[in-house]
Amino acid sequence: MYDFLVDLIGNEIIAAFISAALPVVFIVPFVIFGVLMERKVAGHMQDRLGPMRVGYHGILQTVADFFKLLQKEDIVADGIDKKFFNFAPYLVFAGSYAVYAALPFSSKYIGADIDLGIFYIIAVSGLVVAGILMAGWTSNNKYSLYGALRSAAQIVSYEIPTALIILSMVMLTGTLSLAEMSEMQTAYFWNWNIFGGAEWSFTKLLLIPFMFAGFLLFYISSLAEVNRTPFDMPEAESELVGGYHTEYSGIKFSMFFLAEYANMFAVSALVSVLFFGGYHSPIGYVGNTLGLEALIPFEQVFWFAAKGIFFVFVQMWLRWTLPRVRVDQLMTICWKYLIPYAFLNLLIIGIITLI
Amino acid sequence: MELYDLIFYFFAIVTVVSAFMVVTSKNIVHAGFNLLFTFFGVAGIYVLLGADFIAVVQLLVYVGGILILLLFGIMLTNKITSVELRTGTAHIIPAVIGVGIFWGALTAIVAFKTDWVEVNTASTESTTIIGLGNLLLTDYVLIFELLGILLLVALIGAASFARREIEELKD
Amino acid sequence: MKQYLKNTWEGIWTVLIGMKITFKHLFVPAVTIQYPDVKVPLPERVRNRLYVNMDDCIGCDQCARACPVSCIEIETVKSLPTEDLGKTSNGKKKALWVTKFNIDFAKCCYCQLCVFPCPTECIYMTDIYEFSEFKREGLLYNFSTLTHEEVLEKKANFEKFQAEKEAQKAAEAKAKAEVAAKTKESENKSDTGSNKSENG
Ligand code: SF4
Ligand code: SF4
Repeated sequence: MYDFLVDLIGNEIIAAFISAALPVVFIVPFVIFGVLMERKVAGHMQDRLGPMRVGYHGILQTVADFFKLLQKEDIVADGIDKKFFNFAPYLVFAGSYAVYAALPFSSKYIGADIDLGIFYIIAVSGLVVAGILMAGWTSNNKYSLYGALRSAAQIVSYEIPTALIILSMVMLTGTLSLAEMSEMQTAYFWNWNIFGGAEWSFTKLLLIPFMFAGFLLFYISSLAEVNRTPFDMPEAESELVGGYHTEYSGIKFSMFFLAEYANMFAVSALVSVLFFGGYHSPIGYVGNTLGLEALIPFEQVFWFAAKGIFFVFVQMWLRWTLPRVRVDQLMTICWKYLIPYAFLNLLIIGIITLI
Repeated sequence: MELYDLIFYFFAIVTVVSAFMVVTSKNIVHAGFNLLFTFFGVAGIYVLLGADFIAVVQLLVYVGGILILLLFGIMLTNKITSVELRTGTAHIIPAVIGVGIFWGALTAIVAFKTDWVEVNTASTESTTIIGLGNLLLTDYVLIFELLGILLLVALIGAASFARREIEELKD
Repeated sequence: MKQYLKNTWEGIWTVLIGMKITFKHLFVPAVTIQYPDVKVPLPERVRNRLYVNMDDCIGCDQCARACPVSCIEIETVKSLPTEDLGKTSNGKKKALWVTKFNIDFAKCCYCQLCVFPCPTECIYMTDIYEFSEFKREGLLYNFSTLTHEEVLEKKANFEKFQAEKEAQKAAEAKAKAEVAAKTKESENKSDTGSNKSENG
């Protein structure tokens, strides 16, 4: 994409800025759609309707909310640490935005096709933790601080099972690059990693249960990483007001919101790349049957977004199904259940890939 | 000015300025936050040097691990904010002489003893992980394993510490 | 160990059961009533905003006295004997001009106590319950049908009538007094005469 832009514009710097800004084109509409979807799913799961009044069945509700947030007064409370307080939301957003640089949206568009793809994603999500801690500490509010500390403890703990599962997937595929990983699961859905990968041998059958286990483990810990229910204690509305973003308002609050939904999609996309074939269609491409090669990248973007949004939907589904866990339960789930299982899974997948 | 230069100067300024703030800041939490930018800038410079793996590890270990731990420690420590950090200067002359000699020696060694290789492009290989992996598991495998054992020991030690305290609390 | 595996299994299984339930509810028709567009039918004896049918009101002030929060304000002016105010629908003769009939719905507690004492049943509850206002003054409803000028006129009429009556009364009183004085005078005269005669 960057090379294409350099050819088009002829200036490296401008091209770099444009290609860096491209994910916004995806993130902002996704967030607007995601918030609406969250509210609609919540509504219908509780036999309500959700927002109905702005536009047909409320489809413009989040657009209206977005403009409302933009014009809101930017309240900065007294006695807070202004410099870092103002910076924290942008750091959080930068952390989740940086993840998008390595997500392969289609075979033709990937922000930066670095070979370290998935490793890089684990690393930059550390920025989010730092930003959250910053926001919580500088707010000079005990609820914010609690939220921030909980969030950091949670994210740091759940990074371990996530990383372990990623490691087992890396052992299976033999690459850290997300684009290559997606490329390996091409063609039909039985080539997806969750069905044992593209190679036809008896190891494929052996792998399937462990892939499912890996998927479950990864999905659970990714829920905790993005602070979603049942692991949403950092934001626990009923106990902490709003957690680390209690003191924020207006555009800065919407930054946190953007980051949260961007993160939700990012982990969902990661799940789909690791286990569900990334941008590949499960049933073959229309472009191939019609003989239109140019159509394929767009189809791939569609499938990528569709899979991502499906897993975002599952996150919402879980949110309206499960109550919030306690802090000790959270740590029990992570250290006593997820991590041992993840280690076991790693070991078994390692052995299977060796045969 | 090329894009490469632009990015380099950006990261260099971020690193230097924030490092300066870390040292001079009187507020320990501010120092911690500024350290984040220092780490980040250094990671950026690693990327520019073509050491992508090191850069990511820098982010993962320092920003995602050590810094968070540090901040956590600060925030959970009671009354930490009331601690006045002494960043005043004392014994300027001996300090300047000492640092000057040390720095001079270091620079001299780096400048004259290193085999400098001229590289024309920023980085020739797209990744360093293959080479690194091979080295780690061939030439340096002993050190690698020993480090692993060290970390394991540290982990077990930490766990047993935490455990004993809980049992003491119960008594 | 067995417990551990059982916990794991139960954890996954119960979550799946929960998810099944919520998924089913995704397709259960919503119970939401889209309020301003769709309204729930009101019960029969619902108490909402009051209405006063001024054609029937005789201005007896009973409702205002019954009101526990004193939110009804009534002022009346007596009609002249020459004026005919007509009759109420249940045949009572109206004798008062109701120059002011205000109900302050900001104060009203919708207890319906004002409705029962009304002899002509002209104050009653309607089914209007959406009458919020941006200003509190907007909740002060004025039911009197007379315009300001008419009120002034009626008052003036009544005062004039009163004054005339007063004047008449005064005149009558004066006449009476005069008559009385005259008789007294004559009596006095005769008295003095007799006194004189007595003295003389
Ligand atoms: S309903 Fe009750 S409060 Fe309201 S005007 Fe009648 S008597 Fe007064
Ligand atoms: S009780 Fe009825 S007739 Fe009497 S003043 Fe009230 S509304 Fe009029």
